[in-house]
Parts: sequence; C-alpha cells; structure tokens
Amino acid sequence: MAVYNDFFGPYGGRYVAELLRGPLDELEEAFKKAMEDETFLAELKRFGKEYIGRPTPLLYAEKASKAIGGADIYIKLEGLANTGAHKINNAAGQALLAKRMGKTRIIAETGAGQHGVATAAVCARLGLKCRVYMGSEDIKRQRPNVFLMEMFGAEVFPVESGSKTLKDAVNEALRDWAASSADTHYLIGSALGPSPYPDMVREFQSVIGREVKEEQEKRKLQVKAMVACVGGGSNAIGFFEPFIAADSPRLIGAEAGGTGPEAGCHAARMTGEGKTGVLQGYKSRFLFDGDGQVLHTHSISAGLDYPGIGPQLAHLGEIGRIEFTSVRDDEALEALRFFASREGIIFALESAHAGAAGLKIAAQYKPGEAVIINMSGRGDKDIFITAKALQRDKWFDFLREETENG
Amino acid sequence: MAEKNIIMTHLVAGYPDLEESRRAALAMVAGGASYLEVQFPFSDPIADGPLIQGACTDALNSGFSTDKGFDFLSSLTAETDVPVFLMTYANLLMAPGVEVFVGRAAKSGASGLIIPDLPYDYDEGLYKAGEMADIPVVPVVIPGIDEERLKAILAMKPPYIYTAVRKGITGARTTIEEETVRFLDRLSRSGAKVLAGFGIREKEQVDLLSRHVHGSVVGSALVEIIGRCAGENRDCSGDVKAFVESLLKP
Ligand SMILES: Cc1ncc(COP(=O)(O)O)c(C=O)c1O
Repeated sequence: MAVYNDFFGPYGGRYVAELLRGPLDELEEAFKKAMEDETFLAELKRFGKEYIGRPTPLLYAEKASKAIGGADIYIKLEGLANTGAHKINNAAGQALLAKRMGKTRIIAETGAGQHGVATAAVCARLGLKCRVYMGSEDIKRQRPNVFLMEMFGAEVFPVESGSKTLKDAVNEALRDWAASSADTHYLIGSALGPSPYPDMVREFQSVIGREVKEEQEKRKLQVKAMVACVGGGSNAIGFFEPFIAADSPRLIGAEAGGTGPEAGCHAARMTGEGKTGVLQGYKSRFLFDGDGQVLHTHSISAGLDYPGIGPQLAHLGEIGRIEFTSVRDDEALEALRFFASREGIIFALESAHAGAAGLKIAAQYKPGEAVIINMSGRGDKDIFITAKALQRDKWFDFLREETENG
Repeated sequence: MAEKNIIMTHLVAGYPDLEESRRAALAMVAGGASYLEVQFPFSDPIADGPLIQGACTDALNSGFSTDKGFDFLSSLTAETDVPVFLMTYANLLMAPGVEVFVGRAAKSGASGLIIPDLPYDYDEGLYKAGEMADIPVVPVVIPGIDEERLKAILAMKPPYIYTAVRKGITGARTTIEEETVRFLDRLSRSGAKVLAGFGIREKEQVDLLSRHVHGSVVGSALVEIIGRCAGENRDCSGDVKAFVESLLKP
C-alpha cells in the first residue's frame, strides 16, 4: 500500500483547527521524503538492529499448542524489544525523522507509560529534549514507568484536565504542539490522530509484520490466522500490514472487553457501541454518547483503555478484512497465567488480550496449521496490577514490609 | 476600521449552569457586546486552553446536553437583538449528523457557526449544510496560515472570518505583533467582517484591533470572571457587565 493515504475508506483525515494544520503539512512532506531516502531507511534499520534488538524472535509455543490441541501456536516476541514493547519501533522512527527535520524537542503522550518510556529512551540516545504528557490518574497507577522516564531524563508532565487519562494527555500534547511546532515534534504513540500519523505509525511498525512474513516463508508455515490486541492499533496494524492486501490469513483484532458490555466498563469500539465520529483530529469509530460527548472507558490494561481506534483498522474492520473480538479483564489474566506456566513467557496485559483470543482461534484449527499471536509487550511493567490481582495477600504483605523497613 | 469598539463576547453554555450562563449572556449584551459567541461544551475541546476546558467539563457535569443547548440558544436569540454565533467541536455535529445539527442551529436563530476542527477541506459537509440552512459557517484562520489555504478560504467569500491573533490555544494574554496587524489588514480588505480573538482581555488590545478588524473576541477573561463569581456563589451579571463596559469606554 502507499506510504501516505490520508483516508482509509471514510476514515482518517486531518480534522484539525488551522493552528495544527501547518505543522501537520510540514510533517507529511518530511515523512514522504524520508521514506524514499535510502540513508534514512538504513539508519532506521541499523537503529533497530543495534539498539532495539531486531529482529525479535518468532517462538513456536509447543506446550501451549498441545494443551489446546488445535493449531500450532506461534508467538511473535515483540516484548523482547528494548524497553519491553513494540512502542519503540515507532518512537525510533519518528525521533529519527524529527532529528532530520531539525527539531530539538520531542513531546509525547502516554497512558500506561510504555510509549512514554520508549520515547524517553530514544530521546536520551539521540540527545533530544523530551516532555511526556501523562494523565495524573495514570501517573498514580504507573509509578514504575514514571520513574524510568525520569531516569532517561524526560520531564513527565501531569495532565489534570478531563478524565486525567490517555485521551486527555493526547489533548494536552496537541495543545503544546500548536504553540511549539517550530522546534518541537509531537511523537504520537499509536496509529491514530490526524494524518499523516496513522500512515507514519503503520510504516514504522510494519517491521513486525515483515519479520513474521520472512519467518513464515523460511519455515513454510501454513498460517491460518494472526491475532493482535488493539488499543489505538499500532501493534496490530504493523503486525498485519504485509498480509492485508491478500485474502488470507484471517486477521483478528482483540479489543478490551473490560468488566462487561455496559457503557463505561470497556473499550470495545468495534464490537461494542462504537459510532462514527471526529475526535483528536481524525475520523473513526469512537465511544461517545448520543450528543457526541466521549465516554469513559475501562480496561485492566491501560494501553487498551482508549475511546478511539486507528482509522485504517476501523475501515478494515468494516469491510471485513479484520475480524474484531473483545476479551474481558479476567480472560486476559487467565491467558497471562496460561502462557506463563506453559511457555515461560509473561505477556503484557494488553498483549494477553491477543493471547486469550488466539487460544480460542487456535482451537478452530488442527496441528500443522498455524496461528500467530503478537505479544506486543512483556509484562514486567504490570507487576503492580497483576500481582495484586493474582496474589493479593502476599503482594500486600510485601509492599507493607517495603514501606515499613525501607 | 470600526467607528467604535465592537466586541464579540464568548461564553460556555451551561457554565456554571444554564441559568447563570443566561444571566452572563444578557449582562454581556447590557454591557455593550455586539455579538455573542456561545460555546457548546465538548468533552475534548483541543483548541481551548485549560480554563475553557475546565468550564466545559463543569458544564457537562452540571447536566448540559445538546437539547438544552439549543433551548438556551433559542431563548437567547428571542430575548436579544445581537447576533448569536454557535461555537463547538466536530463531534457534536457528527453525533446527530452534520445536516441535522446545522438545521437545528439555524432554527434556534444562530447567526453563524464556528467549528474549528472542521476546516473547509475536511468539513464533513458543513459548508454545504450551512448554505442550505442559510447560516454562515465562519472559517477560523491564524496568522501564518499557508498562502494557498488562505486564498481558498477567501475565494469562498465568507461573510465573517474568525482569526486568532497569535499561534497557540485560547488562554494567556497576547501581544499583537506588527506582522499580525498586516495580516489582519489583509483579511479585512477581503470584505469579510473579521473577528479577532485568542488572548484579548484589555482595552488597549481592543482599541488597537478596532483599527484593523471588524471586532474583537473576548473569551477567557470573561470565563474567568464567571468562574470567580460561581466560586463565590454570587450572580455574575454585575461583574460581567462592568468588564464589557470597561473594554468599550470611549
Ligand atoms: C504492550 C502494549 N501493547 C499494546 C498497546 C496498545 O497500543 P496499540 O494498539 O497502539 O498497539 C500498548 C499501549 O500502551 C502496549 O503498551
């Protein structure tokens, strides 16, 4: 597909006030040029190899496959990328682009903190000033990542407006950028926002899918389905990208089903009550009420806890190329335990949604056929949430002792 | 340009509640405002600063709905002669459908629509709907706007143009630069009535702008006053009227 599309069916676009228009036009130009420049692409590749640790492995999950008794389950271990998630692919791509554009300062938004950590790390490496906007609610929930960002020298800026979470951090970053774009690049963390962001983030994340395709060909895998979790959609679109144009394999996106289908309890935009709207500069499917006011969302995984979805995924979902399913909090936790005990892998809670969906899909096929799950991140970052959910008493004892004796 | 200072005053419908925002609107008119800009609160108003976003959040928490907003607008346009413009964000139009929303705005007597995140080239049919319902859509521009884009906007011959006098969002005070003044003059020469805002809160700014544009837009400063009165649990009419008058003193 073209590097720059702007629209995907009816979705996408650049629905921004004039003050953001100039910076986006400039970015579009720079992005298109960079993607045709062999030097830039070579630099990105080298950065990926030496710093991010690419290619990440594609693991045959033998015990998991036998336990299900269906398809051969493969796991793309994207969580082994430096800083623990796929987010770094995009952070690296955009930061290198920003540097090329002569920008000296980077701003980013973060929810769980994964994108913030990736951005802060890359900025430390490239010598760029970095400020990360983060909802004050998220700061409370994600202290370890705040600590890491600060270690990397980034300033973590608390956002007190609205619901004090990810979408408010996006708003705040856009506001900063409206006034600062002369020397600042806004490094958005998922495949959403006004164009050219959805295109740009897909291009920088598609390295995941290209590596999978290479391995598939090398190992002659008969891939029937690929499964990824979908927050904004960056790991999913990057994982799926080389496979979208063909009719197969099945591509499956897992959204956060939260605690149930009631409004405010989930972030199911494609499988729930999502409607076509315009928010944060792009047209897509969002969770909002009858008046257009954006609804609160919930997920045990902060990275999937967002009311919108990238425009390309919304379009591919609507035309049926991508199937969407939703996975509840408890199912994600169960999948986390399943893969930990059988494969020695700790999924990030976001990715565990893909894990749970992947197990169901695998049961529909037989050995010799393959289902590939994208483990977009590893779960170290979630220990304060998962330990509390799975070993409440022991974990609280530990925390108590730490504060009393520390 | 103008004989005397002309100002458009801004308020958030339903902030702190509908009754008090109605009093504020009428006090603005009593103080001499020539236009009202009524903002329908949205949960994610990205072109606004923290002050107006906070007012929007409060208004939504105190029960604002689009239906109530249109009732508010209708009663306001019935009660005053000054033109009332409706400002809001795209998703409030997307929810019922752009045409439906624009039709309701026209029926409520609004004199214009200001939707900053529906620019002319990504407008979801807004400009056409405005034409059909005979309600002008007011393009929002900024100094430094791309030349081609400005030409395209002027070619639409809009009766009104809304311009920021600086880059950035609503909120802090603005110093109006030479270059900006040249830009304002150019806009005014197009024949459109130019309304200039973002960071206008002092009489000197209004005086200066009045020589170059049709009117100045005063927003955050008034939201601040209304918020202060709400905090002290008293009617804001007196303060609002006095402030508007102070900007218009000869
Ligand atoms: C590990 C991991 N996976 C997935 C996501 C969701 O984002 P996206 O849908 O853009 O991949 C996040 C976001 O924070 C994440 O940290």
